[in-house]
Amino acid sequence: MNFNITLDDIVLISPMIALFLTSLIPITFKVMRGNREQNPLTALTQGLIGVVMAAVLLAIFSGAGRMAFNNMLLFDGITQWLGVIALASAAGAMVLMYENPSMRGGQFSELIFLALSSALGMLILVSATDLLMIFIGLEMMSLSLYLMIGMSHEEQLAKEAALKYFILGGFASAIFLYGTAFIFGTTGSTNILDFFETARGLIETNRLFLFGVTFVILGFCFKVSIAPFHAWTPDVYQGAPTPLTGLMATAVKAVSFAAFLRIIATRSLEGSQNLFDILQWLAVLTMIVGNVAALLQNNLKRMLAYSSIGHSGYILVGIITAGVSENGSFGASGVIFYLLSYSIMTLGAFAIISMMEKSEDSLVSIDDLAGLAHRRPLIAICFTVFLLSLAGIPPTVGFFGKFYLFNAAIGEGLLWLAIWGVLNSAIGVYYYLRPIVMMYMKDGEGEIAGHSLNATTVTVVISAVCIVLLGLFSGSIFTAVENSLM
Amino acid sequence: MLLSAIVFLPLLFALIIALWPKETSLRHLALGFSLIEFFLSLSVFQKFDPSSASLQLVEKHVWIERFGISYFMGIDGLSLWLVLLTTFLMPIIILASWKSINTRIKGFHACLFILQTAMLGTFLAIDAIFFYIFWELSLVPMYFIVGIWGGSRRIYATVKFFIYTMAGSMLMLVAMIYMMYLTQEATGQMSSNLLDFYKLKIPFIGGQFFSLQTLLFFAFALAFSIKIPLFPLHTWLPDAHVEAPTPGSVVLAGVMLKMGTYGFLRWVIPLFPEASEYWAWLFMLIGVVGIVYGALVAMVQPDVKKLVAYSSVSHMGYIILGLFSFNVFGLQGGLYQMLNHGVSTGALFILIGMIYERTHSREISKYGGLAGVLPLFTIFFFIVTLSSIAVPMTNGFVGEFLILLGTFKVMPVFAYVAVLGVILGAVYMLWMFKRVFFGEPGPLVKDDHHPLHDLNFREVTVLVPLVVMIFWMGLFPNQFLDWSKASVDHLVQNRSAYNLTIYGASATPAAPLVAEPPTPTAEPTTESTPMPEAPSPTTDTTAEPGE
Repeated sequence: MNFNITLDDIVLISPMIALFLTSLIPITFKVMRGNREQNPLTALTQGLIGVVMAAVLLAIFSGAGRMAFNNMLLFDGITQWLGVIALASAAGAMVLMYENPSMRGGQFSELIFLALSSALGMLILVSATDLLMIFIGLEMMSLSLYLMIGMSHEEQLAKEAALKYFILGGFASAIFLYGTAFIFGTTGSTNILDFFETARGLIETNRLFLFGVTFVILGFCFKVSIAPFHAWTPDVYQGAPTPLTGLMATAVKAVSFAAFLRIIATRSLEGSQNLFDILQWLAVLTMIVGNVAALLQNNLKRMLAYSSIGHSGYILVGIITAGVSENGSFGASGVIFYLLSYSIMTLGAFAIISMMEKSEDSLVSIDDLAGLAHRRPLIAICFTVFLLSLAGIPPTVGFFGKFYLFNAAIGEGLLWLAIWGVLNSAIGVYYYLRPIVMMYMKDGEGEIAGHSLNATTVTVVISAVCIVLLGLFSGSIFTAVENSLM
Repeated sequence: MLLSAIVFLPLLFALIIALWPKETSLRHLALGFSLIEFFLSLSVFQKFDPSSASLQLVEKHVWIERFGISYFMGIDGLSLWLVLLTTFLMPIIILASWKSINTRIKGFHACLFILQTAMLGTFLAIDAIFFYIFWELSLVPMYFIVGIWGGSRRIYATVKFFIYTMAGSMLMLVAMIYMMYLTQEATGQMSSNLLDFYKLKIPFIGGQFFSLQTLLFFAFALAFSIKIPLFPLHTWLPDAHVEAPTPGSVVLAGVMLKMGTYGFLRWVIPLFPEASEYWAWLFMLIGVVGIVYGALVAMVQPDVKKLVAYSSVSHMGYIILGLFSFNVFGLQGGLYQMLNHGVSTGALFILIGMIYERTHSREISKYGGLAGVLPLFTIFFFIVTLSSIAVPMTNGFVGEFLILLGTFKVMPVFAYVAVLGVILGAVYMLWMFKRVFFGEPGPLVKDDHHPLHDLNFREVTVLVPLVVMIFWMGLFPNQFLDWSKASVDHLVQNRSAYNLTIYGASATPAAPLVAEPPTPTAEPTTESTPMPEAPSPTTDTTAEPGE
């Protein structure tokens, strides 16, 4: 094999190069200052500049299905949209890190470096078409995250979370690699594009290939916490510092689903009825497990962790739809739009929790919200918007996300999945209302943390405004997503 | 523009109120706003043509082109009076809550106005998804009104209310999406436009539950039945009513329950004609059971407010009975009864709120002999009681009479039982009246430390418009029924192939030239039957006994 790296390739991966170079800035400064921490605001600014540059470059140069590095990376609509969603979520998470007590301290420069490396991994993941590239992206993203969780001030829970996440993440990667090996063994290639056309036929005839594809899919099921592979999620989400939980629940999930979407787009589901059936049941199970378990939680982070499992179930419905749809771009755009709406509202909700955390190891329970609406009307209204959007109440973007997702599912004849989806949304309403009840209808001492929270407040308000505006203009955005996938 | 202004002006009001700096002038401001809204809605009469059954004052803009979702509003005889009921009750509610809502006044009035937008939108939206957005949106402000300003068990009640209604409407959303795909199959272009839905011919197989039209029918009917609420699904209502603050109860009973019955009228019956005809017996049965059950349960309630709440279950049973009789009498009666119930039950809740402000108790057994202490209050309460039990000359009589007439023509058995409900209604209301207002003065009434004061000027001002409406609607029903007659006739005659035209066809560029023709040409083809003449003389005669 001979590789010709052209200028085109470099231009296409310019967002990644930009991210990588800016990620070095904070730690270089720190070294040059004799290992003294620079002003956290400077480090944050450097990080945000990197993310913005990457997003702009991604928006300018990619699109229209351009390939780089011998078809290893694909820059199409999925890359653009989910890349920008992931970068925006990462930016939001960095802002939360800046003001969260468990993250702020002697190692903020390193954290920004790791956050940007993680974002770099995410960009690789959304653009990769080769299973090994997917693996590299996945590992780069996850390893940075393990370190970030472990580095935080929060003592025991965070360490436990880091270890748990590491072990189970490693396990999932191993399963993924195992599947990749089988695929390579049967097709002689690890590039999805090489067996894109033949996968459907291969899966019917070749058991080993089916085995490989199934294992790859299972690896993703671990990553995006599809039941019954979800058990790590609540513990890790609860134990990790809130800004990182926000990052995991939004950006990591969005990009993992992007890679999932690419694998599903090989139409392997149509080749194997069993795989198709199993995935449908997993989606139903995930929705039920997530929503029912969330009913029982008192810890706010744990509740949102289970709710995020529930949302994984909804998105899996979209993924399945995209996998069986003749008009693939419709189902896929439903997924992308859902991930967009989900990321905004989830990041906003975690930002609120981050504001509530007064010390490094405070656990925010739902009862702590009591009376918040009296003292902080703005925060309470924003949180209400996030929760109503998560519950799917119109006219928020959460409603339209569900609407497009289930619309696509019904269009593909997956009516029963849509019915399960809406029934679960009805269950979900109950636990999303509980914080609202606490904030508005109970008296209590609920108050946000005393230290400066301006940046987080800005993030929260922007997210809330986005939720309402994107809700009203969801049609044009959805069409834009769909057109970019054509 | 008029309908958009009517629907979205309250939203603007809510915003202004939320940002208004002075708490002292807030109530006056809200009252002024609600009056502006009411007078604005009165201007609909000027532009509305009662002789036409088509959709008037239409506003249609593409909203989400990809799915054929449009910003589509229109008004016809079915929705006209419900819109006016909503705008009419709002100033009354604000004036009635002048003293009873003392905390977070700003939030309360903002919620009320958002709720008004949602309710008006529900009545005026002619696009499925657009309708659904208003339908769901109405839950949120009501949830806060009950949950923040309600009684002791308010949180249980409000969460139950929210989840019940939400769970019911989720399946309706699925059904709507499914019908959008049906329009795509039929016309090649996906649309959530109700007028396109009307054109669908959905296959119906009688006796088979798992057939398309039946399933869609039940998905819609479930959502609306919970909202109304019909008999086995009614359990959220007493809780919500009892715990809600007075203005919340008035909106809930006065308008929000009508969203369910209106849903049947606008959506279920015209969209699924065969299925609704096939299953009419079920809904009439549920209606009749609701009438009797509501009345019997109301009879034994120790709490006045709960009694009125259960009487709502009974009254809503009449409405559903009328709607499913599918003739002019039943439908007109059902529509009329929606307005009656809004006025008289709204008035009852306001009166109960007034006495509750004085004594902080709603227990019937603690009262007695109130007539001697509060004569003015007693008079008002008596008039409203008469309206609620449908005594001739009051509005309730016209509605119930038309409904019974309509039912009698189709299913006499149900009419017999429903008449029993009329008697039971008189029993529980009058018995309650006797125990509260006559007899030995109860502990609350003869309490010398807290002497009771009769109604003040504000409270009389609140009640007078309601009492005027009670008699006006009771004595001159045709002044109201004439406005809805054309639409109801149209629905009755074309039920199996319902369609709605847009008034004046202003959607096409050539509109000014052919402004008149479309309506007449559409009518003659359908009016070949001798039916249309029937309703007007009969509605005349129903009014006569009262006079």
